[in-house]
Order: sequence, then C-alpha cells, then structure tokens
Amino acid sequence: MTTLHGEIPGAHGHEHHDGSYLERKGGMVSTIIDWATTIDHKKIGVMYLVAVLTMFFIGGVAAMLIRYELFEPVRIQATGDNVGQISGTALANLFGQKDISVAKADNIYNRVMTLHGAVMVFMFIVPGIPASLGNFLLPLMLGAKDVAFPRLNLASWYVYVFGSIFGILAIVMGGVDTGWTFYTPYSSSHADPGHWRVVFMILAAFILGFSSIFTGLNFIVTVHKLRAPGLGWFDLPLFVWAIYSTSIIQVLATPVIGITLLLLVFERLFHVGIFDPALGGDPVLFQHFFWFYSHPVVYVMILPGMGIISETIAVHSRKQIFGYKAIAFSSISIAAISFLVWGHHLFVSEGELVATIFSALTFLVAIPTAVKVFNWIGTLYKGSIQINTPMLYTLFFLFTFSIGGLTGLPLGALATDLHLHDSYFVVAHFHYVMMGGTVIAFLAGIHHWWPKIFGRMYNERWAMIACVLVFIGFNTTFFTQFFLGTRGMPRRYASYPDQYQLLHQISSIGAAILLIGFLLHLAVFIGSLFAGKKAPANPWGGLTFEWEADSPPTTHNFHHEPLATHGPYAFDDVVPPHCDPKDYPIADPLPAGSKRH
Amino acid sequence: MTTLDINHGPDGATGRPYHETYKPASHFRSKDEEFDAVKIGMWLFLATEVLLFAGLFVGYAIFRMMHPEAFRNGSHYLDWKWGCLNTIVLLFSSWTIATSIGNAQRNEQKKLRRNLLITVACALLFVGIKLTFEYMPKWSGWFIAFDPALSHYESDTSALGGLLHHVPGYGGKRPGSLFDYPFAENPYEPMWWSIYYCATGIHATHVLIGVGLISWLYIRARKLHFGPGHYTAVEVVGLYWHIVDLIWIFLFPLLYLIH
Amino acid sequence: MNLIPTTLADGFWHWLWFNEKAKSSAGVATIGDELFMYIFWLSVVWFVFLMGLTFYFVVKYRRKPGQKLVRSPAHHTPLEIAWTVVPTLFLVYIFFKGFWGYADALVAPANAELINLKAQKWAWRMTYPNGAESPLSTRFTYTDAQGNQLTSAQDAPIFVVPAGKPVQLRMSSMDVIHSFWVPDFRAKFDIFPNRYTAYWFQADEVGDHPIYCAEYCGDLHSEMYAILRVLPEAEYRSTIDGWAIPWDQGPVPVGKVLYKTKGCAACHTVDGTPNTGPTWSHIWGEEHEFEGGGKAVVDANYIRESILVPAAKIRKGFPNQMVSFQGQLNDRELDALIAYIESLGANPPAPGTGHSETGAETEPAGSN
Repeated sequence: MTTLHGEIPGAHGHEHHDGSYLERKGGMVSTIIDWATTIDHKKIGVMYLVAVLTMFFIGGVAAMLIRYELFEPVRIQATGDNVGQISGTALANLFGQKDISVAKADNIYNRVMTLHGAVMVFMFIVPGIPASLGNFLLPLMLGAKDVAFPRLNLASWYVYVFGSIFGILAIVMGGVDTGWTFYTPYSSSHADPGHWRVVFMILAAFILGFSSIFTGLNFIVTVHKLRAPGLGWFDLPLFVWAIYSTSIIQVLATPVIGITLLLLVFERLFHVGIFDPALGGDPVLFQHFFWFYSHPVVYVMILPGMGIISETIAVHSRKQIFGYKAIAFSSISIAAISFLVWGHHLFVSEGELVATIFSALTFLVAIPTAVKVFNWIGTLYKGSIQINTPMLYTLFFLFTFSIGGLTGLPLGALATDLHLHDSYFVVAHFHYVMMGGTVIAFLAGIHHWWPKIFGRMYNERWAMIACVLVFIGFNTTFFTQFFLGTRGMPRRYASYPDQYQLLHQISSIGAAILLIGFLLHLAVFIGSLFAGKKAPANPWGGLTFEWEADSPPTTHNFHHEPLATHGPYAFDDVVPPHCDPKDYPIADPLPAGSKRH
Repeated sequence: MTTLDINHGPDGATGRPYHETYKPASHFRSKDEEFDAVKIGMWLFLATEVLLFAGLFVGYAIFRMMHPEAFRNGSHYLDWKWGCLNTIVLLFSSWTIATSIGNAQRNEQKKLRRNLLITVACALLFVGIKLTFEYMPKWSGWFIAFDPALSHYESDTSALGGLLHHVPGYGGKRPGSLFDYPFAENPYEPMWWSIYYCATGIHATHVLIGVGLISWLYIRARKLHFGPGHYTAVEVVGLYWHIVDLIWIFLFPLLYLIH
Repeated sequence: MNLIPTTLADGFWHWLWFNEKAKSSAGVATIGDELFMYIFWLSVVWFVFLMGLTFYFVVKYRRKPGQKLVRSPAHHTPLEIAWTVVPTLFLVYIFFKGFWGYADALVAPANAELINLKAQKWAWRMTYPNGAESPLSTRFTYTDAQGNQLTSAQDAPIFVVPAGKPVQLRMSSMDVIHSFWVPDFRAKFDIFPNRYTAYWFQADEVGDHPIYCAEYCGDLHSEMYAILRVLPEAEYRSTIDGWAIPWDQGPVPVGKVLYKTKGCAACHTVDGTPNTGPTWSHIWGEEHEFEGGGKAVVDANYIRESILVPAAKIRKGFPNQMVSFQGQLNDRELDALIAYIESLGANPPAPGTGHSETGAETEPAGSN
C-alpha cells in the first residue's frame, strides 16, 4: 500500500499537515482536558491501554494473593484437646485478621478468587486487545481518519471506566464471594444476603457490556464504510478480520448477558424466583443464559490475539501469510460456531442429549483453530525470520496456545470431562488459552506496535530477557496445574489435602517468576517512554497502512489519503514504506507470464 | 481545530438553515456515506435490542412450559382491552414518526413538528395507561376514579379528594417476594408477575428513552435542523421507535391473550 | 480394545497423570482413563511435530542481512485440505469414544444398590436403603515440617458402600448447587436443590476414597470432604444394620445418632468448644443473648425454633449460617434431639431440671 500523492477525486480535501497526536496542548490542565474530551481514536486507544493494564495489575495482584494463600493448606493445629489454632491462613495474616474461624479465613480467599476472575474477565481481557490496540490500529490499517462514530468511542471509554468504578466499589466495600460466574442460587440468595456490593459487582458487568457493544458496533461500521479506496475485503490485514469477527460476537452475545444480569439483580433485590429453585425457578437456566454469552466471549478474548499473531508472524518473517483466506474465514467460522458450544460448560449438570450435541459442536470449533496454527507455522517456511521481542512472543504463543488447544480435547470429550470438569485441569487449560494465548499475543502486539504508538523504541535485550522470564514463570505456574487436576484437585479451593502441596508450591514459585518478568517489562516500557531512541516510521518493514503513517502518527493519521495498491503481506514484491531496499531486499521478479501465487 | 470536525454549527454567516449547509464529519467522504454508516450502526444496535428481549422471551417460554397454570391464572388478571388500546396507540405513533421522515425529506417543517409532537404524546399516553390503569391497581389496589374497571368493585377508602379509590384484596399482584395477593390459586403466580413486570417494565423504559429521543428531535426540528439535505437523526430514531413498537406487538399476545 | 500400547497407557505415564488406577469398574472410569492416555499421546505427537517444525524453520530461515527473499506458495490447497480433514478424523473418533463412556455413566445397572445423598453447605449425608445414616467421621491428620500435629478443619463423614456391586446415588441439595466428585472413580455430577441427579460406580476393591465438592458453594467449599469406604458386601450389610436408628432405646440414644447423621455435628460440638454454631454442652437452662438484642433461656421450645426457623434467634457472636430443618426432621426426631441436648447437662447445673417430654413440646411450633 502506498500513499497517493495528490488529491483523490471525490474526497473532500483540506489536508492538515499537522503534528503528532501526542503533542501537548499547552499546560498540564489543558492537556488533561484535551485528553479527557478527545474523540481521536488513537488517544482513546491509549487511554484504554492505560485503563485495561491498570485492571490487569489489580487482577494480577489478586492472582499473586491466590498463589500466596495456596502455598500452604489451611489446617488446625491439634493441641491436646479439640481447641485448635489455625495454620496456613496466609491471606488472613496478611490482612491482620488473627484468631478467626476457618470459615472466615476461607471466605477471604473466596473473595480474592472472585475479584481475580471478575476483574480479569470483565475489565481486562474482554475489552483488552480490541479496545486498546484495536482502537488505535483499526482506522490506521483501513487508511481511515477515525472510527465511524468517534463520540460513541469516547462514550464507550467513559462507560468502561464508570462500570469499572462500580466493580472497584464492590471490592472496596468488602468484595464479593460469588465467583465471577455468579451461579444461582448462591449469588442470588446465599452470598452476603442483603448487601449491595454483590449487586454492584453484577451492575459493573452489566455496564461494561454497554462499553463492549459500543466498541463492537463502531468497529463493524468502520470496517464496512471507511476502508481506503482500493482496499477490498481480501486486502484487509488479518488483524482487521479478527477484530471484525470479534465485534460481531460482542454485538450479538452481550445483550443476552445484559438481560441475564438484569434479571439476576431483580432476583437478588426482589427474589423474583426466575433462577431460584426454592421459588420454582431454574438455576440451570441461568447457566445456559450465562454461557450463551460467556462462551462466545472466550473468542472475543482470543480472536484479537490470533489477529495480532497473524500480523507479527508475517512481518517478522517477511513472508506472505500462508493461506490468507483460510485464516480469514476461520475467524468468521469461529465466531459463528462459538454461539453453538455454550453447553459444554454444563456436561455435569444437564442430560445426555444436551451434552452429546454440545460435545460434537465443541470438536467442530477445534478445527478452524487448529487450521490457524498450521497456517502460522506454514508461514515460517522459507521466510526471513528475525528474532526480536514480538517474534519471541509469537513463538511463545504458538507453544502455549498449542498446549491450551490440545488440553481442550479431554475437556470436550464427555467421558474424560466427567473427571476433569471443575478441576485444576480446567484452570490450567483456560490459563494456557487466555493467558498463554491472549495475554501473550497482547504482549507481542504491544511490542510490535509500541514504536508506532509512542514513537520510541524499547530496549530489545531487556524486553527479550523479560519475555524469557515470563515464559519460564508461566509454564511453571500452570503446567503443574494440569497434574493437580487429573490427580483430583477441585478448583476454587482455599485449602487442599496434603498430597497436592508440592505441586501447589511449584506453581506458586512459578507465579513469583512471572511477576518478576512482568515488572521487568514495566521497567522496559517506562524506560522507553522517558529515554527510548526515537522510532523510525517503519522499524520492522511492515506493509500495512499503519506503517505508512509517522511514528507516532499525526492527528489526522496520514498526510494524504492512502490508496491500496498491493496486498497487506506482499513482501516478495514490495519494498516496505520508509525503508531502504538494501535492508529489505525483495525477491527476484517472476518470469513474465508465470502464474502468481 | 486540531481534532476532527464532527458537528458543524448553523451557518451564522449566511443565515441559511442547518440542513442546507450540513457537511458530514470530516472522516467521511460524503454525506451519503455518513448516512449509511449511521444507519448500519442503528441496525446493529437494534439487533442487540432484539437479542435482549429474545432472552426474556426464552425465559417466558421455559417458565410457561414449567408452570402453565400460573401463567393462565396470571394472564386472567390482565385486561386485554387496555393492552389492545395501547397497541393501537403505539401503532399510530409508528405511523406518525414514519410520516415525519417523509416530512423532513419534503421540507414540510410544520408537519414534521406536528408529527413528532403526536408521536411523543402517544408514547406518553402509552406509559400513562400502563401506569394508571394497569400497574397501579394490580400493585397496590388503588384505582383512579375514572377507571371503568373500578365500577366492578367496592372501594373502602379514597384519597386525593376522591381521585383515587382503594379496593381491598385487589392489589398485591407483585413480583417475587413482594407478592401479596390473597386470592392466588397457584403457588407460582409470583413468577408470572415477575415475568410480566420485567418484560413490560423494560419495554416501558425503552418507550421513555424514545420520549427523550423524539423530544430532542422536536427541539432540533424547531431550529430547522432537518430537511431534504439532512434527516439522519429522524430516520434512525424512527427505526428505534419501530423496534420498540414491534416488541410490544410480540409482548401483547404473549401476556394478554393466553387462553 | 487397547487404543495404545500398554506401556504407554499404564505404568509411569499413568502414574504421572493420575497417581493411581481408577478404582471403579464403571465404563466412565475405564474408558475415561484409556481415552485420556490416548489423547495425551496423540497430543504429544502433534505437539512435538509442530514445535519441532517451528524450531527447525526458525533456525533454518533466520534473517541474514542483504539476503533476497525466496518465493514460496502463499497457499497449497491439497495440503490445507489434508490438515483440515486428518485432525477432523481424529476428533470424530475422540468424540465417539467419549460419548460411549458418558452414556455408560448415565445409566446404572439394574441391580445397583440405591443410596440417597443429600448435600448442604458444607456437609454430605447419605441415607441407606434401611433408613440408616452414617455416624462415623474423621479428620485428616498431618504432621508438618516442625513436627506439629495438624488436622483438617472439619469432620469428614465416612460413608460405607459395598464392594463388587454397582452403587447408584440419588442426589439432591438442600441449598445451593454442589457437585459430587470422587477422583478415584473419575466422575462427578452436579447436585441441585429441588431436583434429583444420579451417579453410579462399582468399586471392586476394599479401600477408602475421598469425596470432594466440585461446585463452588461458599465459605467452607474447600472443607466439604467426605470419605467413601468400600467394604465387603456382607460387612457393609451388617454395618448399616448396626446404624439403624435405635427407636426402641428411648429418645437420648436416638438423638445422639441423629446428631451425627443429620449434619448437626458439622457446626455444633458436644464438648464445649464453639464451632460455626454454639456448642450443645451445658446449654440447657442457659440464658442466651441474641444478635440485634433480646435474650431467652434455652428450653425445649427455643431449641425447636432454632432447628426449624434458625434465623429467628441468632445467638450473639455467631453467624446466621444454618439452614432450616423444616421437613428434614419429624416431631419424633425433634423430641429425640431436644432430649439429647438436655442430657448433655444444664447450666447452671441444678437438680430437678430433668424435664420429661411433655405434650406441649410436641405441638407444632406454629412459626414460619
């Protein structure tokens, strides 16, 4: 894609030759006002990045607390008569709660566990990639000046913050212990009866749903209406395909959780009885409603990650992506099938017919996912592969995501799931997919586009060291949990029988390594912001539109309206924009008349 | 201006009305493109609305299957005549807002304003009927004096100078734990009222949002914002209003006409 | 049918994943383990192949400055069809194998011993065909690195089942959703309030197996253990016969059995130490203060109300945690429990407080 110099007929044309979008407007106060009222998708993307990473930090602290508590099981010291002193209540000690009952000590763990789940799912990983990187990159990749509805975009950020405040409020008021899944009747009639904080946490998820719908709706319209001239559907970068599929799921699934959570609030406040068996309702109906949203949303989490990997693997191995259409269509088919597999969360609660159908459909969704992995590995073939942080994370993703995918098989198969359901095997599996998949892809993407977003390079060596630490820490933390699960450790346990202690301790040590890796990343990012080398416009030799813009881009993204003249991954034939042909030698031209691939 | 130009104010220099000088936001290539984008966006939003109510309808279907008697008994307390009147009111308002789009396209400013006003009035009438003749007596047993149903019953107290009359033993048809109706025949009737209030309450909320949106259209129409050159807002609010209407068309038989 | 060679399905690799062999001969356990090991090795082969290929490509095609790119196909239809179809065939096989095991888990053999299982926050109760319930319980004991004696936090009931005979459980919950999981039997199923679900197994060897609650159910979810003890069938029969409630011996022995079998022991001690609920030792005649004010003397009516409508009077310093036993205990059983509490001693100890059961105490409380 090259920039067309001069005006495009029909496009109305005052082109501003303006400065970077990061340029400060006057003093501190006016800069803050400028950011708070901006409708620039890039600033909103950065604001989202800061917000979701803050939530990732809060959720991460909760995760560390979980691993801290699980280092030792809760026990009573048998001192002669039956009067016991409790040991192993690390969290209670940490919060200064001495001499409390086991029930109260376990309750603290249950609240931290819920906090981790709710924050990570609703406030970090669902909005995560689409709202931050997606917001920043989607218009750039399409060659547009902004998303279709810029004010709706800003509104979505404020709704996100408003919803998160509700969630934080629930935490500050003492937290909730319902689990992030809010299963009834526990959440409706048993958890903290009469307390508003449970309602606040549910409302937080409800409000965040609006933010999700606004973003998704905005992106769909943007992809439909604001593609640059010449940019056909099959010229779109695969990241755009992924975000487009994600947006469809967000728009179609979120309303269902909306009504479900609303009914749950009514249920809690007025005991309307829809989900409460004591009043004639059906708790399994809640599970159906809940997973009808929450399973598709698993793909809201992972599809953007897959999109990032499609970009990074192509750019850093300078290779036409293998099977472009297969990857694009697999995104769409994953989005479609994702609506049909929710029942696999209910294999141990529903009858045979439901379970059988959903087991079969679950295996169906495995196929497009596997096809994507094969295509990525096929892309490496005969490439020109550069190992740097984004590429290292991409390979890291292939490793962990493959494990995540393969360990889904015994969970999708009915006979094995009866044993593994609600065990640590499930915990390990979804952390391999969500963290080993989405978070790792997010990190690949942040490093890949960091120079574009902030206009500065990061320290490659230290970032790669941090990546290796995260790799070691992640696998130590979660691989052990597969064995915990198959050996019989149920999930959401504050304590455990002795035979699981060694594996839990290894897992906790892994979490500490993971923490060090993330802190090192944070240091590298801060270092880059304050002392990083100025980034060139196209540091990796990418061919998509965003690399034609300045680093950081100007307020209006491009100096001239871009025009698509080649595919997004035509590395063989095109010298990347702003790059020297000596550094990026292209392939020999094909003999005249030969068939192009 | 350093950010995108989104809304151009009325052209102060020439004094020409807004809709004649309207220019699309600068990230769109043309007015038509902007119009299409807004319309696709609205259709997507309406898809989310339909799905929201779809969840309610699925719940309705399952609980009607589980407790058919409770639903039959409960529905018996609803007066189909009020439901029917409200259906007519909403259908008429759908027609007036559809006409108002044509008015904007043909620059018939006076008719545009009139049709928008009638739509708002119908929406308010709908909510008014719902509250005074349906919710209030069932919830509390208080009737408004000119409610024709009141003549069937004997009231024990009245309030507000005879405007309100209380019928003992009539109220208490409330959702869930608030249910207090002494003559219930089925233990699951509270659940019927839960579904009834949830469904009609969420729908009525949408009607009230519609009142806000159409009033906003009316204020803008007074400032001559809409005309042949620009009527996007009228068009998409119209779409919204049709969906609100359509949902009622489904709710009415499901709630009122169970026999 | 063996899916994979025994050396791969058993021995070290099986130990690595499961520690021990499945202790149930029901299809879900045998097919499940076999299928799991099959999926494991299939995954290992795929994973090693894919990662090996990735590593090889990364090393072989690493970027060398100034080197021109080499063209290669952007797609290859036969290859893409192959790598879509081949995994699909494997998945179809795994699906059917999983379905057979699951179908087996759903239908218990006709000669199964039917036992009722009730779950409540945070205790299990089994009722045997003769109406008996287990009075046995235990705590896991451990010795930590410093040599301290440690125990698990709650008493875990011990249930007995016959060896060599299929056992079917008819399960329901008294409050929230629970899930019955015996890892050694490789299966679990959810337990709902107001609904029955089923579970069956056949344990052929004598031995103890832990039971866990696998669906999050609140504070003591992680302490909701029980032990399933497999006994030879004759011993099982004599054991449950011995647990039948001794109605012919008067109310106090009956109350003592009910205390252990109805779940009271999960929260109330009889030795004077407070637990989740107050102890029962020497409370007869004691004056109790309540949360939110008010006080009352412990007598038959107070105890009856506390069992049937626990939330009505919450003793100061204790949480409102107990579920109602309305419908769980009949009047005879209530009488027995009241007599048992009275037999545990009065406070203040005074002669002549030994009330006998009078007609007034068996009248319906009229509450609720």
